[in-house]
Amino acid sequence: MVQSPATVDVFHAIADARRREILDVLVGGELPVGAIVEELAISQPQVSKHLRILSQVGLVRCRAVGRHRLYRLNPTCLRPLQEWVAKYEQMLNERLDRLDDYLTELQRQEDKGSNDQQGEA
Amino acid sequence: MKGNRHGTATTEVISECEVKTQRAFDAPMDLVFDALTKPEHVRVHFSPDPEPLHICEIDLRVGGKYHYAWYAPEGYECSFRGTFLEIERPTRIVATWMFEGWPDDEAIETMALTEDGGVTTMTDVLRFKDRASLGDHFQGDNRGMQTSFDQLEDLVAELS
Repeated sequence: MVQSPATVDVFHAIADARRREILDVLVGGELPVGAIVEELAISQPQVSKHLRILSQVGLVRCRAVGRHRLYRLNPTCLRPLQEWVAKYEQMLNERLDRLDDYLTELQRQEDKGSNDQQGEA
Repeated sequence: MKGNRHGTATTEVISECEVKTQRAFDAPMDLVFDALTKPEHVRVHFSPDPEPLHICEIDLRVGGKYHYAWYAPEGYECSFRGTFLEIERPTRIVATWMFEGWPDDEAIETMALTEDGGVTTMTDVLRFKDRASLGDHFQGDNRGMQTSFDQLEDLVAELS
């Protein structure tokens, strides 16, 4: 199977607590780097590094306004993750439903076995 | 006959790298544990009907490996494999987890069982590794993660 690089990239992009915090801050709206630095109390180079990664996978978009660069969330890029969770849940549901049926069958057989034994005794 | 629990497994993302699934079964914990760990059981229920697993190897001891494989209706092979890290029969198993083809990284799967009045609840947490800073994630500050993730997901849902 060929995996989607975009899926993997989004997973990796959000698999970092700081980047998750930056996304969290950007949920509130478009912001310049300085405002994110202030909000999270981490260094500007750190914030810039994370914003670069988030931009690379498309989770964050950037536009220049005068001398400022404003960053905003592009959450449609989280869709691969959402789709993965939905698929995973569906796959697990089907698998666990089969386990459920199987457990019911095992218990039915056990009951039948013990009834048969009682019958023979 | 007890109520039908089909379709009741819930999956949620609980942190930046963890996916949690819960499901209850009308069966005692020992039986659920056996059904999840003995090849003769797993072979029957794990893969979608009608094809049983063509590979079902389970070496249930710490350091032992497991490998399941089956053919999807589309014809390609699906394969899970991993190594057992902790085993506490019948309540807990920790193992590495790798679904071939997705993703590159191994995850750690922790499966816990609890029983209450003949109903066994399985809680399964799949924790994906972060290449750079796994330590930071789980020792560090986790505040707001669930909330922010929920918000982001809601946002995505709205936009979908």
